[in-house]
Amino acid sequence: MTRRAAPFLCGLSLAIAACAPEPTCTGNWCGTAVVVTAAEADVLLPVATSQDVGYAIGDLLFLKLADVGPAMSTMDGFEPELASEWAFEDERTIRFTLHPDARWHDGAPVTAEDVVFTFDVYRDSVVASTARPRVLTIAAVTARDSQTVVFRFQRPYQDMLFDAVYHMRVLPKHLLDTIPRAELASHPFGRGPIGNGPYRFVRWNAGQSIELEADSAFFLGRPGVRRVIWRFTADVNTAVAQFLAGEADVLNALPPDALERVRAEETLRAVPWTPSTIYGYVLFNQRDPEDHDRPHPLFGDRAVREAIAMAADRETMVRAVFGEDGIVAKGPMSPSQWISHEEYEQVPFDTAGARRKLAVLGWRDTDGDGLLDRDGAALQFDLLVPNTSTARRRSAEILQEQLRRAGISMTISLLDFGAFMERGQAHNFDAWFGSYGGDPSPASIAELWVSGAGYNYGTYANPTFDAAVRRAQAALDVATARTRWRRAVTLINGDVPAIWIYGSAPNAGVHARFEGVSVRPDNFVATLWRWHVPATRMIDRDRYSE
Amino acid sequence: MARFITLRLVHAAGIVFLVATLTFFLVHLSPGDPFTTSSQGTLIPAEVVEQQRRNFGMDQPVYVQYLRYLGNIVRGDFGYSFREHRPAAQAIAERVPNTLLLAATALVITFGVGVLVGALQAAKEGSPLDDALSLLTLTLYSMPVFWLGVMLLLLFGVQLGWLPVGGVIDEAVHPFLSPLGRLTDRLAHLVLPALTLGLMGAAATARFQRAEMLEVIGQDFVRTARAKGLTPRGVFLRHALRNALLPAVTLFGLSFPLLLSGSVLVETVFAWPGMGKLAVDAIHGRDYAVVTAVAIIAAVMVVLGNLLADLLYRVVDPRTRSAR
Repeated sequence: MTRRAAPFLCGLSLAIAACAPEPTCTGNWCGTAVVVTAAEADVLLPVATSQDVGYAIGDLLFLKLADVGPAMSTMDGFEPELASEWAFEDERTIRFTLHPDARWHDGAPVTAEDVVFTFDVYRDSVVASTARPRVLTIAAVTARDSQTVVFRFQRPYQDMLFDAVYHMRVLPKHLLDTIPRAELASHPFGRGPIGNGPYRFVRWNAGQSIELEADSAFFLGRPGVRRVIWRFTADVNTAVAQFLAGEADVLNALPPDALERVRAEETLRAVPWTPSTIYGYVLFNQRDPEDHDRPHPLFGDRAVREAIAMAADRETMVRAVFGEDGIVAKGPMSPSQWISHEEYEQVPFDTAGARRKLAVLGWRDTDGDGLLDRDGAALQFDLLVPNTSTARRRSAEILQEQLRRAGISMTISLLDFGAFMERGQAHNFDAWFGSYGGDPSPASIAELWVSGAGYNYGTYANPTFDAAVRRAQAALDVATARTRWRRAVTLINGDVPAIWIYGSAPNAGVHARFEGVSVRPDNFVATLWRWHVPATRMIDRDRYSE
Repeated sequence: MARFITLRLVHAAGIVFLVATLTFFLVHLSPGDPFTTSSQGTLIPAEVVEQQRRNFGMDQPVYVQYLRYLGNIVRGDFGYSFREHRPAAQAIAERVPNTLLLAATALVITFGVGVLVGALQAAKEGSPLDDALSLLTLTLYSMPVFWLGVMLLLLFGVQLGWLPVGGVIDEAVHPFLSPLGRLTDRLAHLVLPALTLGLMGAAATARFQRAEMLEVIGQDFVRTARAKGLTPRGVFLRHALRNALLPAVTLFGLSFPLLLSGSVLVETVFAWPGMGKLAVDAIHGRDYAVVTAVAIIAAVMVVLGNLLADLLYRVVDPRTRSAR
């Protein structure tokens, strides 16, 4: 019930007293944050979830050993969580010391055995965790004593510390080790977990909400917000309406059309992500979709790809779609990845230049219809776009018009997300509007772009680039890593396997009564436990307590 | 009567079997799979997807999966929800009460308001009130249900702030309210979705009821009642309205599928945690077990609703019994 709704409804029911219970919470540790999202968590067991919202809630319940810092570097600047300190014992061994006060919410201490158990669960193929491939470079995890745990890697590489701490949320061995691995995801623990984080689980109303309560004895400091309620809608417009109506306090990403309204409201605030881990790109298929043994009739030629990329005015496109918060992508990486802070050579926007380049290749407007053709065939291709993404649909429409000015005909096929992914995996497309949301590590470049990689749907292949990526991943100091990643990105940008379109920088919506608000690129509520509501700004739902 | 019910139940079982089979093949033929489409942008490693497919027997041929599915349904097992990591029956059981509450309230609005408005229009035939109500009911009947829902939500929820925007309760305050406060909170959340779903049906019922009333009013037994000196009010209520209500029983049976399909949209717009919203989430996430289970339960509800309507019709109209 909203504050505005309360008097109206109470009047209707003649139950004013019943509708207005006495709020009882006072002081600095009150505060209720109602977070609204257009998707529900699948399960609250971090090793089993595959949903962003599952990870987001899970991160308030379960801690990692450490986490990346505000700069999102995967090489340095890590912040302690369950581990109070760590050190490299040799070039492929890291020793972690657990915080002595870390406790599970049932009171049991967090021990090195929990960490060993966690690694064993994450790498178990039966559990099939989405993070499993990222921990397979770890050869062994052993407990030296109850507070000390040692990670041994297969080989030395750049992301050893990152892979040791970032992908796994430590799980309670004393509660989970008797459950068969195949039944772990479906065990009731996943819908009523006992964690070790700043919040403890209270209840899950299926299809509606999940409620968490602050652990007042949390060893890293008492959370400033006492209750967090996650409310689920099936539709982003309903989520926005709840936020605008004051029924929700936090909305992860405001649609551009809601941004102005939020900025005009005194009680609401738009908080920019800084920026997100997503980048969008128009991928060229380099193999003929009808016969994968042949090069694509258009995109098999680098010069054609480059000419089409030249006809795309990405700056205008990004401004039109994301407004002032949009970021033009510099390469195959999100703007939040630390290697994106470098400058990289880009294909320049030049419509006339694109036409000239295509003319050299024999593409001319011979019939005066405004579109280029060669040997009687028009220069045209089809772009697949998922109907679930407004940003990609709008970007595609703008790109279509920009290419038309250069004489290139691009049709747009809007597909259901499942069909879109299936066509991508089958390499059955001309061009594919992808969006990648990965973790902060540049290792994602290897997963999407090296020859034969599982997500390399465009079948881009350049052995020199592959070697450059391998060398970059092997660099163990920051300066060398920067230099080598720059070389790899320069190579792939020169090959133009895709047009890098945007790195979105969305705004979260947050009620203005919260202070200390910051939004981290990889999880918009990672720091929520450090937010607080000053006593003078509390509203009714902040004051209610059991 | 027993033979009639037995025959109808056999027909119903056949319909449910067909729905179960059709839904199974439709969801399995649709592109995408539950493990690659479950995330929102994060790509799932291929080896993880393969392992998940093995874990859930989806690496088997489709006919094997179909036979296993039929066998499970016979045993009352609707399968495992990939999205919720628990039996589909459990996920649905938690949502059914919400859908029934919404549908039942909408049904009351559909017939309560619809019959009253239709009767009022017939009583005032040709008057400005009749014209105004005709325009209103036609307008409501022509509106897409989701559009009406969004408009009501924006007006009463966002602009005026009189009613909650979504959900069944306000989780932030509900546990702390008195019993009366909790009831009020629930009712407040029910108003907009029930009105959205019920008003469309009420408009249709009103138009149907008006026409039926005008036909009955012209019949001999009504003329006879007037000739016997009954008051116009008595003639209208005791003779015309009672007889004109008979066809509404047929409408009652037909309204079940409309209410269920309408609830999919209304529950989505109002974040109402019922079967409709679950179905939408399940379709987006390719949660096969939930999609097929919802379709089967909806089919059962529809055929039972129609059976109930037929039985009611036979009870209230003796002519249908003697005609067989």
